[in-house]
Amino acid sequence: MFGDQARVIASITIRATMGRKRALLFAIPPLILVLVTVLLKLAHPHDPSWPSQIVGIFGFTVVLPLTALIIGTSVVGAEVDEGSIVHLLATPVPRSVVIWSKYVVAAVLTAAFAAVPELLAGLIATGGLTKLTVGLFAGALAGSVMYNAVFVMISVLTTRAIAYGLAYVVVWEGLVGNFVSGARLLSVGQYSLGVANAIAHDGTALNASLSLGTSAVMGAIVTAAAIVIAVRALSAFSLKGDAI
Amino acid sequence: MTADNGAATAGAAPVTGPAAGTGVIHDLGYQHYDGPRLGRAAIIRALYWHSLRSAFGIGRGAKAKIVPILAFGLMCLPAIANAVAVATSSGHARIVDYDTYTYPLRTLVMLIFVAAQAPELVSRDLRSHVLPLYYSRPLRRHDYPLAKYTAFTVACLLLVEIPLIILYLGTIISVSGGSAVWGQTRALIPGLGVAALWAVLLAAIGLVLASFTGRRAYATGLIAIYFFLTWILAKLLVGIAQNGAAPGPGGLVAGVPLGARLPGLISPFTVVDGVRQWLGGTNPGPIPNPGSAGVAYGLMFVLLLGVSLGGLAARYRKVGAS
Amino acid sequence: MRNVSRWYGNVVAVNDITVTIGPGVTGLLGPNGAGKSTLMHMIAGFLAPSRGELTVGGTPSWRNPGIYRTLGLVPERDSVYAFLTGAEFVTASARLHKLPDPGAAARRAIEMVEMTGAQDRKISTYSKGMRQRIRVAGSLVHDPEVLLLDEPFNGMDPRQRLHMMDLLHGLGEQGRTILFSSHILEEVERVSGTIQVMVAGRLAASGDFRAIRRLMTTRPHVFLVRTSDDRGLGATLIGRPAVTGVELTDHGLSVRASDYGTFSREIAVLTRDQGIRLRELLPEDESLESVFAYLIDTDGPRAR
Repeated sequence: MFGDQARVIASITIRATMGRKRALLFAIPPLILVLVTVLLKLAHPHDPSWPSQIVGIFGFTVVLPLTALIIGTSVVGAEVDEGSIVHLLATPVPRSVVIWSKYVVAAVLTAAFAAVPELLAGLIATGGLTKLTVGLFAGALAGSVMYNAVFVMISVLTTRAIAYGLAYVVVWEGLVGNFVSGARLLSVGQYSLGVANAIAHDGTALNASLSLGTSAVMGAIVTAAAIVIAVRALSAFSLKGDAI
Repeated sequence: MTADNGAATAGAAPVTGPAAGTGVIHDLGYQHYDGPRLGRAAIIRALYWHSLRSAFGIGRGAKAKIVPILAFGLMCLPAIANAVAVATSSGHARIVDYDTYTYPLRTLVMLIFVAAQAPELVSRDLRSHVLPLYYSRPLRRHDYPLAKYTAFTVACLLLVEIPLIILYLGTIISVSGGSAVWGQTRALIPGLGVAALWAVLLAAIGLVLASFTGRRAYATGLIAIYFFLTWILAKLLVGIAQNGAAPGPGGLVAGVPLGARLPGLISPFTVVDGVRQWLGGTNPGPIPNPGSAGVAYGLMFVLLLGVSLGGLAARYRKVGAS
Repeated sequence: MRNVSRWYGNVVAVNDITVTIGPGVTGLLGPNGAGKSTLMHMIAGFLAPSRGELTVGGTPSWRNPGIYRTLGLVPERDSVYAFLTGAEFVTASARLHKLPDPGAAARRAIEMVEMTGAQDRKISTYSKGMRQRIRVAGSLVHDPEVLLLDEPFNGMDPRQRLHMMDLLHGLGEQGRTILFSSHILEEVERVSGTIQVMVAGRLAASGDFRAIRRLMTTRPHVFLVRTSDDRGLGATLIGRPAVTGVELTDHGLSVRASDYGTFSREIAVLTRDQGIRLRELLPEDESLESVFAYLIDTDGPRAR
């Protein structure tokens, strides 16, 4: 699994992702999260559910998916866009290794840039390692794993991955998920919240509607399916000709 | 005016080769144009029209029209639904107000429209490096962003005002009596004004953010993330402040605490709503009435607008080859 | 490949091509938009034919990553990881090919393209020609039997171009199959003897370009003749049926001959009989450029 080919791909991917201007972009949402948490902590709001709302809802509806989006689309998307992915693909490296290496890099980076700030914000907001803090951290880790699978898959399937990913996060998870309860079954955000809630037991404040079982199963299915689709799509990767 | 390129003078006979030491300009048949030329205003107008068309995907393929058409359709839905409701209940029930106009839907649609289309106007030119070409024409530095901003504002205006007009007409049809019509009209005017504030501000922010990058996907991401993040955060902060407010007698909230009146400042969508309420709008919106802090909303509106337009002007003051 | 076609909706990019490309250097020639890149991408396994079969060394290249053990591709697009150094890039390529000694293989490849001096600089500092060369190194590192290069001379200065031509020539001599595409005739002319000409998606001609030229007897050949008595020879020649035109120019006698074979036999006899000394006889248009132009001007496939 971590053979030399995977290591080469992973190291190139990390350097490519961190070296671009985009590194700034995915550092901003988590920064805002921590900042807002600190400010609120200092302001002592009366509402006892504020940690769940800020670290939980804001973190899981905005910070986590958007950070995962930027990272997940750039591990594959940027190279496809530039054309440099050909250098990876014109080798006998199995396509599954390519996807797997990039996916792992994306998940780890998202964990570092979204899940760790979640932990930090949770510690600040609740004052310690409460159930909420631990739950949110676990949920964020799960979210990093699941979201990136979806976004890597979208990046392989289309060049307009960011647009479709945004439509998924903002429209599907944000809007539709609030009004159509069935849609929540197909929402990675809800899976993550389900995991978080299983530990934190703060369902109403977190707006989590799925049980741990449902979240885990659906999450696993979605993740696995996304990876498989991504590998198949990459095996049929096509370079367009010159005049077309 | 610009210099003529491809100039031909009264040409000597071509292609016999120059005599030793002299040169010959060949008459290649380029047409020399000496007639009237349209001036700067015409260029700006052309740029404006072209940008307006791009905002709606006109003149491009079918794919470019999907988002504008979808956005427009969604925006009009409440107006149509309202017309139906009013018609079937003989002028009584009204779902939608002019000045708030199904606020969540309008927010979402404008978010998507601006995030998707602002890059079409601005990032494309950056990517294909055509700015030096534009600027080598008789065009002053500010004309380009001016044309773009005007065009995009008009596009957003169309998107927000036309549904209001539809709402108005749909209601007028079903009510009877001059006073009812007049009442509707009186409600419409401020609604149009609020919508105009939306268009003016969002267009500016969208364009300046999009002008940061030539890649449309990144620009869309940047704009969408900014709008989405600030909006959710504002709503949550307002909710927290209101939830935590000490209840007065009978369980009602005594007053709106300051903590609930200020978070609206961080998101352009709520800033516009704050201005609306400050200027006297009474219909409930996404944020509570700012009360004494209303001035802050007005100031914030001006600030956001000014920074965006200033940023846009600064961005296009110098154009290099990229 | 056999009956290979590729279309995009209504546009046919490659139209029913059947050809076998063997060892040595083959040039794929054609104007822009002729479908050269499309064909190369199909050979390289980066595009599926809409119809027909295409194999490299007996196995199809589509959806077959294993084929890259013996195949190398240098695509036209100048895309490469700009933040890596040249050496890092080629070594990474070597490692991806699971070579037993990636460092040594990389060094060899870099030497072959004469980039040893610049290998430790970041690729973002390279000129276009240097980037081209390092990409070639990356595709050579695993010693492929088949090498595909799409417009490899783009952006190279004359010295680099000559060097690349020598390199390709040498590789071809080693028995590898080198296929490169170009729309610039002198490049193809100098490096390869065998050409495949593509026009509007069809294969217009294959083989040695001189032979192709000779097969096209419908077109007149033009020769430049320098003799001791141009005018006199000209007068005689115009009376011959194999000659369709004669022109006196500053450089000599320009003769248009409709029948190459007959003309070349006759000129010797004529000059001897008339006592004219023949100093120089040059084909004026036997360059790839005229071959190309003739093929483009006419429709349909020509001699195969």
